[in-house]
Amino acid sequence: MITLTINDKEITLDKPLTVLEAARQAGIKIPTLCYHEALKPYGGCRLCVVEVERMPRLQTACTLMAADGMVVKTESDTVSKVRRGILEFLLINHPLDCPYCDKAGECELQDLVNKYGPTVGRYIEEKRRVPESHKDEIFTRNMSRCVVCTRCVRMCGDVQGASAISIMGRGNRSRMEPFSAESFNCEYCGNCLTVCPVGAILSRLYIHSFRPWQVDKEVETICSYCGVGCSLVAQVRDDAIKRVIPRMGFGLNKGLLCSRGRFGYEYINSGERLKTPLVRKDGKLVESTWSEALGIVADKLMKVKNSHGGSALAGIASPRCSNEDNYVFQKFMRMACGTNNIDSISRTGFAAAQKYFEDLLGQGTTANIIEGLKNSETIFILGGDPTAINPILGLAIREAARRGAKIAVLGNAKGLERFKTLQLVPSVFKEADVLEALLNEIYNVKGLRGENPALDKGIRALYEKAAAAFDMQGFDNLKKILLDSASTAVVLGMDLLQRTDGHRSLFAIAGLIYLLEARLYLLSEKPNEQGVVDTGCVPDMLPGGRPLGIHDFKRKFEAAWNGVIPENEGLTLLEIIEGAKNKKIKALYIMGENPVFNLPNESFVSEALKSLDFLVVQDIFLTETAEIADVVLPALGWTEKTGTYTNLERRIQLQKKAVETSNGMEDWKIIAEISNKMGYRMNFADSKEVMDEIAKVSPLYRDLTYQEISKGNCLWPYNGEPLRGEISEAPAVFKTANEYKGDFYLAVEKPLFHSGTLSRRSPALMKIYSEPALKVSVKTAEKLGLNEGDRVQFFTQIGSKEAIVSIDESIKDNRVYYSNNFKGNGIFSLLTFNIDKLTKMPGLEGCEVKIKKL
Amino acid sequence: MEKILLKNIDNPNSADINEYIKVGGYGSLSKALNMQPKEILEEVKKSGLRGRGGAGFPTGMKWSFAIADPNFPKYLLCNADEGEPGTFKDRPILEKNPHLLIEGMAISGYVLGSEFGYVYLRGEYPYAKDVLNKAIKQAHEKNYLGDNILGKGIRFHLAVYQGAGAYICGEETALIESIEGRKGQPRNKPPFPVNAGAWGLPTIVNNVETLSNLPYIVEAGGEAYSKTGNKDCSGPKLFCVSGCVNKPGVFELPMGTSLRDIIYKHAGGIKDGKKLKAVIPGGISTPVLPADSIDCAMDFVSMPKAGSMLGSGAVIVMDESVCMVRVTHRALKFFEHESCGKCVPCREGTEWLRKILERIENGKGREGDVELLSDVAGNISGKTFCPLGDGAAGVVMGMLKHFRNEFEEHVKNGNCKFQI
Repeated sequence: MITLTINDKEITLDKPLTVLEAARQAGIKIPTLCYHEALKPYGGCRLCVVEVERMPRLQTACTLMAADGMVVKTESDTVSKVRRGILEFLLINHPLDCPYCDKAGECELQDLVNKYGPTVGRYIEEKRRVPESHKDEIFTRNMSRCVVCTRCVRMCGDVQGASAISIMGRGNRSRMEPFSAESFNCEYCGNCLTVCPVGAILSRLYIHSFRPWQVDKEVETICSYCGVGCSLVAQVRDDAIKRVIPRMGFGLNKGLLCSRGRFGYEYINSGERLKTPLVRKDGKLVESTWSEALGIVADKLMKVKNSHGGSALAGIASPRCSNEDNYVFQKFMRMACGTNNIDSISRTGFAAAQKYFEDLLGQGTTANIIEGLKNSETIFILGGDPTAINPILGLAIREAARRGAKIAVLGNAKGLERFKTLQLVPSVFKEADVLEALLNEIYNVKGLRGENPALDKGIRALYEKAAAAFDMQGFDNLKKILLDSASTAVVLGMDLLQRTDGHRSLFAIAGLIYLLEARLYLLSEKPNEQGVVDTGCVPDMLPGGRPLGIHDFKRKFEAAWNGVIPENEGLTLLEIIEGAKNKKIKALYIMGENPVFNLPNESFVSEALKSLDFLVVQDIFLTETAEIADVVLPALGWTEKTGTYTNLERRIQLQKKAVETSNGMEDWKIIAEISNKMGYRMNFADSKEVMDEIAKVSPLYRDLTYQEISKGNCLWPYNGEPLRGEISEAPAVFKTANEYKGDFYLAVEKPLFHSGTLSRRSPALMKIYSEPALKVSVKTAEKLGLNEGDRVQFFTQIGSKEAIVSIDESIKDNRVYYSNNFKGNGIFSLLTFNIDKLTKMPGLEGCEVKIKKL
Repeated sequence: MEKILLKNIDNPNSADINEYIKVGGYGSLSKALNMQPKEILEEVKKSGLRGRGGAGFPTGMKWSFAIADPNFPKYLLCNADEGEPGTFKDRPILEKNPHLLIEGMAISGYVLGSEFGYVYLRGEYPYAKDVLNKAIKQAHEKNYLGDNILGKGIRFHLAVYQGAGAYICGEETALIESIEGRKGQPRNKPPFPVNAGAWGLPTIVNNVETLSNLPYIVEAGGEAYSKTGNKDCSGPKLFCVSGCVNKPGVFELPMGTSLRDIIYKHAGGIKDGKKLKAVIPGGISTPVLPADSIDCAMDFVSMPKAGSMLGSGAVIVMDESVCMVRVTHRALKFFEHESCGKCVPCREGTEWLRKILERIENGKGREGDVELLSDVAGNISGKTFCPLGDGAAGVVMGMLKHFRNEFEEHVKNGNCKFQI
């Protein structure tokens, strides 16, 4: 216990704090400038000086640890004079251009001078002038205004881990500069903007367009991009999002954001948004009315149902839509359309993997909190770069590395280059061999746990048929690290699983998690991949993860929903596409998804969808898929509606409405109206009523209300009741990888700056990463004689594309990476797939690529 | 007095290891390795040796803190970043007697349990760098450095790290930042380097001169050493005298020699028969003393009583023809240039002081400027992150204390009667 006195007030601390923190805790305000709660104390601005009895000099409260018996004065004539002096020093070079500066109104220096500062200046010489830099597309740098608090540099280096900027020059010539000189070559997280106390770094997205005090309202909501679900504040003026800012310490991201979350918001204001329903007439999509369009949809779906039965209908739900949207959608497919043919793009990764792990390891096995990653002793990362796919989760890994955790990476992961302890890069498509060998070795040392008969049996069987000892550089080290670790986290991306033998890796990872007692984190590209599963947008489970095959569950839902749920399990996503191709599926309803672009083998998917009798697409943009639809229905997007999202750690969060728009309708509402027309009644007044029903029928979300969810700490499994029985046998391994003989292999780039096809409509993200590049390793470039920026043509079995070359030092093998985000330039149009019989994921095929310099 | 530090430097080959061995060099190391580290530490404590970098912290005490820290490895850093205007006392050791320093560091390493040492050398000492590197190589060859020193199983490696020309890197935590490859800026204390210094490990930073005293202390014992100099400040001290004297140079004299003796007895008195006007006694960052205040003992205890500091023992002598405004302006140009930029009062304050002095010096001073100078200096002093800012403010305040009239005349008349 430490007891100290600040301004005659006795304060008792239960843990060691600085004098500044102790004072703040007691409600005593000490002015600061270089101090920031997210950063380590710096002691540079000297504004927080205080008098401490028995100490000869004034002390900075931010760096001084409170000690027992300390007597501190924060307000005295001496202290006031010093503060005034410091502010006068700051103002000798800081321009007094507040009427022009965007920061005015939320500038810490302005506020400080207003409260403590001198009213007149005594400095008569010319101020230091550094020309404002507009060389970067996103950031404006005004180094005349910089007060060299270094908060941006410390944020960039110590928290974000990007280390892209530094203070150049010395003394009064100090200024912040990116190492890449004029424009930034960084992760564009913009966390430097959050911490800049003055107008030295500003976002060009809103420069000179509004004043902080002119914001109509601020809405605390969550991000719409990935499966982390960061909290943020949308600032609204005239029913448009003017700016997205984080709030320090707020949400699971604690005030940090990534490029997509901070700068990607403009898509919602895009002029390309769908505004009215479109109906195909004489082969062309033409504007229509809601009543006509909804009438056509209801009519067509009924006709197909009546003539071919419910099994000729299918629906594709969306991990971009809310739990409410998805819940209503699956209810509609099951009850109004009479089919269990409902799935989502999550089948290509998250949903399939999640199901697999839950079956083997138990329900809720992926419900691990992101914050907890920081305390891991070892983090094993495979199948993708977490810092690009789920950037804020990536930051937790970097933080763990700083705290001394061992970071083991299998494959390429650019964002962890400077943080990894160990990297293993198996030859292409041999990852499953490595993982199986690793499992065998770990089993050999640790033996079985005897708690899970299915896994125990599977692991022993694998060991018995194992080949000779495995030899690969780094393998033994990886084994040692994993065996020595008392607390291991496995972070799994989907790239590893989208293989013909993806289920082999799945089993090996499940085995490793089991034997090492590790925690599992599944990377999730879309914001509601977990919610899609939870709300029943899967062909084999009802909401709440209740298997369709268990009669009691089905009967309960039938009672609640007042109708009959079809008996048979439905088709998975890729089976639906195949079904469309071979005419088993006649009508397809797609909500918020773009399969033509987002699934492998574009021409196959596109042809399949064109073979349908009727295709409805509900979206906010006219996507590649919407373009071939018979009816297109405009939906509402992020900040335009309220709904809940369930993130990858299974935290249920509320995304709130912030603006009014006449663009479209809520997804659930459109569907409910069609359902009503088809004769199955759905009467929800608002999304809250949908949630109330979910809370009634789903054991996962039982009794949850919006009010409770708003607190942000509702983590699944909410009431911890078992959802389904356990399996007694590990799923059999069906297939081993094909032998491939290419020199180079095409792989999917998951860029930090893009997400699906949504980010295309974000001007800022398009400026940061405007054209897809073929990313190649240094070795590949040497082998082919390629230089940065060269144009190449590359060919797979089914197609070819042209692109510029970008050499990426973090690529360690003969993969070449190309993204699937840019219009007309998706990698998936070059690849084919097999359906994995077990997981129903696509196993990407046709990856061998030939590259020709142009 | 027997010379300890500058012994043998008149020999043209004094930097060669064989010449050094000829005069008994490395005998102390050999003796030290037959003693217990604790015994040597006791001798160092008995000797009363205080750090020669300027602060005068008792070396034995600093070492005990580092020894008490349970973490390993420990680093021994030699501060050879001699960058303060007027200071060149370590240069003769670095260039002419490098083995004395190496021997001192090897002994220190043994006492401290440190196996790695660095000499952080001033960027502008390229000759010293070559000499040191050669000497270190020779010492390795003769097994005075390395993995098994003199066959005793003791390990100590030494390397030279050259600074990039920043005065601030003479401050020990900035020196550590620099040696780690970062920008030279001081760190928060605590933690102190003895517990968390280079790469977060226990680190002892000692001045060249301090470490060079070690061989003698081991050889003659702490008590014999303490006989030289004053009671509270023992041993020999290097004084480097520059400015308006007949015989500028480095002098090894007992600690506590009077400033008057240094100037008149050793440095040959004032040049051209002129009168003494002022002395900066310990390097540019120590307050100036007027001519009538030079009867003071040059040591860590007496100098503060005389209104200044011993600093590095760099005596800058100014005669009656020197303009004090100009001196102050020149000094502030240095401090402005060398301010690292970390803290506000130093970064902005030194610039402002320099600008005010510049206008006074250029005959554009305004009424109230002298008061402004004093006020700005007061706003810097005691508020900065490290002593650099205090030094800058101290120069101005010291000059105003003793020569305020010169500043006022400059403001009033636009110029002065002095030649320099």
